[in-house]
Amino acid sequence: MSPLDKIVRRNDAPSMSRLPRRAGEVIDRSRPIAFTWNGKPTTGFDGDTIASAIAASGHRILSRSMKYHRPRGLLTADYWDPNAFVQVDDEPNVRSGHRLLTPDITVGPQNVWPSLDVDIKAANQLVGRFLAPGFYYKTFIHPQRLWPAYEKVLAQFAPGGTVDLETPLAYFDKRYVHPDVVVAGGGPAGLAAATAAANAGASVLLVEHEHHLGGHLRYGSTDDQALANGLEVAARAAGVEILVDSTVTGRYEDNWLGIVQRSHPIAEERLIKARAKTLVVAAGLIERPYVFAGNDRPGVMLSGAVRRLVNMYAVKPGERAVVFTANDSGDHAVATLEEAGVEIAEVVDARTGGNIVSTDGTQRATHEVELGDGRRVEADLLVTAVGWTAPTSLLNMSGDHPVYDPASARFFPSGTPDNVLSTGGIVGDGTTDQLIEHGRVTGELAAGRSAAVRHRLQATTARAAAVDGPEPAMPADDRTPLDRHPHPELFRSTTHGIVDYSEDVGSKDLVSAATEGYDSVELLKRYTTATMGPAQGKLETVNTVAVLAEARGETIAEVGTTIWRPPYAPLTLGALAGRIFEPERVSSIHSWHVANGAKPILAGQWIRPEHYGDPEAEVRNVRTNVGLIDVTPLGKLDLQGADVPKLLNLLYTNKWSKLAVGSVRYGMMCAEDGVVLDDGVTGRLEENRWLMTTTSSGAGTIWEWAENWLQTEHPDWEVHVTPVTTAYTSINIAGPNARTLLARLTDVPLDGDDFAYMQVRAGTVAAVDNCVMWRIGFTGELSFEVHVPAGYGLHVWEALMAEGTDLGVAPFGLEAQRIMRLEKGHFIVGQDTDGLTKAPTTGLHALIKMDKDDFVGKPELRWAVEDADANPVLVSVQMTDPTVVPPEASQIVRPGTNEILGRITSSRYSPTLEKSIGLAHVPPHMTAAGTELTIVLTNGDRTTARVMEHHAHYDPEGARLRV
Amino acid sequence: MSDTTPQFRSPVVATYPTDPAAELTLRDESAMTKVVIRAASGTPARASLAQVFAGSRTSGDVLIAGTRPDEWMLLGPASAVQERLDDMPTDGHVSIVDWTHSRAQFRLSGASATSALEKVCGLDWSDHLMPNGAVTSGSVAMVTCDLIRNDVDATPSYLVMCDRSFGQYLFESLIDAGSEFDLSVA
Repeated sequence: MSPLDKIVRRNDAPSMSRLPRRAGEVIDRSRPIAFTWNGKPTTGFDGDTIASAIAASGHRILSRSMKYHRPRGLLTADYWDPNAFVQVDDEPNVRSGHRLLTPDITVGPQNVWPSLDVDIKAANQLVGRFLAPGFYYKTFIHPQRLWPAYEKVLAQFAPGGTVDLETPLAYFDKRYVHPDVVVAGGGPAGLAAATAAANAGASVLLVEHEHHLGGHLRYGSTDDQALANGLEVAARAAGVEILVDSTVTGRYEDNWLGIVQRSHPIAEERLIKARAKTLVVAAGLIERPYVFAGNDRPGVMLSGAVRRLVNMYAVKPGERAVVFTANDSGDHAVATLEEAGVEIAEVVDARTGGNIVSTDGTQRATHEVELGDGRRVEADLLVTAVGWTAPTSLLNMSGDHPVYDPASARFFPSGTPDNVLSTGGIVGDGTTDQLIEHGRVTGELAAGRSAAVRHRLQATTARAAAVDGPEPAMPADDRTPLDRHPHPELFRSTTHGIVDYSEDVGSKDLVSAATEGYDSVELLKRYTTATMGPAQGKLETVNTVAVLAEARGETIAEVGTTIWRPPYAPLTLGALAGRIFEPERVSSIHSWHVANGAKPILAGQWIRPEHYGDPEAEVRNVRTNVGLIDVTPLGKLDLQGADVPKLLNLLYTNKWSKLAVGSVRYGMMCAEDGVVLDDGVTGRLEENRWLMTTTSSGAGTIWEWAENWLQTEHPDWEVHVTPVTTAYTSINIAGPNARTLLARLTDVPLDGDDFAYMQVRAGTVAAVDNCVMWRIGFTGELSFEVHVPAGYGLHVWEALMAEGTDLGVAPFGLEAQRIMRLEKGHFIVGQDTDGLTKAPTTGLHALIKMDKDDFVGKPELRWAVEDADANPVLVSVQMTDPTVVPPEASQIVRPGTNEILGRITSSRYSPTLEKSIGLAHVPPHMTAAGTELTIVLTNGDRTTARVMEHHAHYDPEGARLRV
Repeated sequence: MSDTTPQFRSPVVATYPTDPAAELTLRDESAMTKVVIRAASGTPARASLAQVFAGSRTSGDVLIAGTRPDEWMLLGPASAVQERLDDMPTDGHVSIVDWTHSRAQFRLSGASATSALEKVCGLDWSDHLMPNGAVTSGSVAMVTCDLIRNDVDATPSYLVMCDRSFGQYLFESLIDAGSEFDLSVA
């Protein structure tokens, strides 16, 4: 019987199958898992990857390539497999070579239209010669007006899976860790390093990319697998924290590492931010494909792939194989395939000059392999073992520049900082025992270096445990280097083939690009997109460099390589975003507001009541009865010390030395440039104790501002500043009935003679001691601002509401307050001022005491005062049409032109005055009462307004608040 | 005049199922008396407090924590704290502010307390850098907190204090962080 007859040639005929039980298999045959593949019910086992389950079911083709839609089968059968991206339910671009099978999932191929079997877009292959690198850039740039049409068409050819916008949001998590040692890679060297470091007293985090520890041992012989198990047991016994299915994605300054932990029990993915004292890179080696004609034909696999399929998943990868080998891995693959019952048609040994040239067959299956000597061998499986890529990404990120060694046919690291070490295949070759020994010594070195770093941290951190003795010296690296075994340089055969499977870039494309002038490896990469796919160059980089070197007639060392940057492997945006922290601040009355229908508004981080249904009604109630507003967010600072007046004189523009105990005063603060920084009221509670209030948004800033001046300029002053913003619940009681209401709950005399406007008292309110009461207000009505120890804030609020029923008490929110403050003409820092507003602009010249010795902003303010025409002025305005309320920030223009003269800073309809009112910035020459302003509305229409004599539209004499 | 007896309200207003015997617990201790003291160099108050910055010690029922280079916090029952204050000399530049109402305070206890904190805070919680008694401040779930390691019966236990207004948010954030470790409110 001809060997051909043994090979099933039908396109969809199963040529892969599940083997009898293998000694080291990772599947659990007692737990079958049903799923759907390409529309058909299929079964795998627990422990299968999606790809191994599909392969075991006899399916050779998983997806099609992104550009030419060529059918693609397994190549590496692991995380990096570029041919195994599939759609799983609503999740696109799933790495089926890595993702474990779970019950009832629906798996489909990608880049197929309309189906995996019949793909019309495969016609791209017919015009492939015209789809050279840069085709899109060159073709669709002219005429530019047609780009929208081009874009629509090209979008139809976008590769990848389908994004379902209805997919529920997944949960992603974050974690911060500070291990002494992080080991990236759980192969024999990595496991040995982790164990040794832990046994030396270090805290160790081991991160393994795949699901199983042991690296290449895991898919090796029975003895290899037993050794891997032993190494894992030792690591766990030593206390190593082990993360599998996780990747160190990046190394940043001072060994700050990003680690993505996939398939976490409580999260889709978890991003771990690790600050490692020492990083050990034990990333192993990644097997490199060979470039030749037909190298992407289903049935062409790397030696690691067939060993994984056979030894881990008990999948027979073909019936009759040609093995092209240049190393032990290829040799082991021969043995593995024989054990699996695969007929070995030919072993082509590159070490003795053997070569392969091409495959032949259908697009869906390999039928024949052409050898370098001209023979053609019938086979449905071609296994290549042509060398390795050292995944030096993390070392690159540590500043290392890998150097190519032609004798070993791979790059090696050249030098890293003291806190980054490497071990295992990435730095050399050897027997398993030699790799383990190198790992062990590396682990001990890492532990020693970490101990030195930890000693330094402890010695310099106040809260840390005490350390004994001087800082130990950083241990020297006296490891015996691993050998480098000779390896033939095998990158491309005598024919051309695919270099980047993910991006469908062939060696011809690279040569073409180099001929066009893109002959720098960094340019070539970007122009052709080679190495820029999901494999991130792990499979393609060295071949790309080799093809370019050949095109340039230079050596690989001369061409150099691209620099790997983070991430080592792609991670999701969800992982990067992680757990979302959005702190919210609420007052102690918040629950009452919620229960009583308050409409919330976010003011900074504070959630505050904007109104309780009808802000204009709230205004009218304050004007006629009494209202309560929760003003807890007002910044509050406790100031103590003999030099507080000095501080106040420095920070405020007005004078404070003579403020009597029991009085409060309004003040305005400026920055050094004279720009208004904040404002508020400060009261003198005792001779050396003051309470300062700031704007709500300025609370933190002014605390830091005060501390900054005290600590840097006046450390000799005796002032202690303590933030007490939320030590108090602050309630403003406003309205004609305010005094009557408060009097029902306090024994503090409230009559005008006893407690005059702009005075402060301490006392008991609603049986709560240590309340502070100020007679001030923002609404223009008789007001008492009561600051209650916050734990009793709700109690006092509820007591006020209960006691004031007959007085018409009602809550009012921020909107009503804004209306009333505008009626009263009070400006708000940050709304009616901006980053250029100097103090004189506010019109509060009386508060700018230029005769003070000094205060913050004085030099600039002197100029501002002297050159009054240089700054705009804040004026009060009323619209000519009382029903038109120009939006805040509306422009004020010169009539008949678009010349901007100023802007409306605040505007509201006043229910009290039944007019549209506002505040505005205007040039100095337009401040006279009665000046008409032209305002541009949002729709382009224009309206007019009149400048008023006073800022206050309502009760300009202040009679109502002084009663 | 109101004759209603005032009732202290915690910033944590939501209610949760409780299990004080759980392996990992979160307790709301916001009602505990908290007093912040600042004392200038050379004042006898500093000697009386006898606690260096970034550490803490227990004096009777009062925990004395060195929260800043010139700042201490006294935590404990009101009477015990007052007694301690009464004994403290206040000569010189010394200020005392009652922070009981200003700060939310939670106690996270259990073998996995550190693991829970690792999810919301970037500090190094190892015994080397944060031994029992250590005091520091840091961002917990993006909220600035004072943090004291105050083990109970050799079990890791942390006091987490923040501005009262963040209390409900932070309490829920800690519950969320601890849910992976079967946290229960105590």
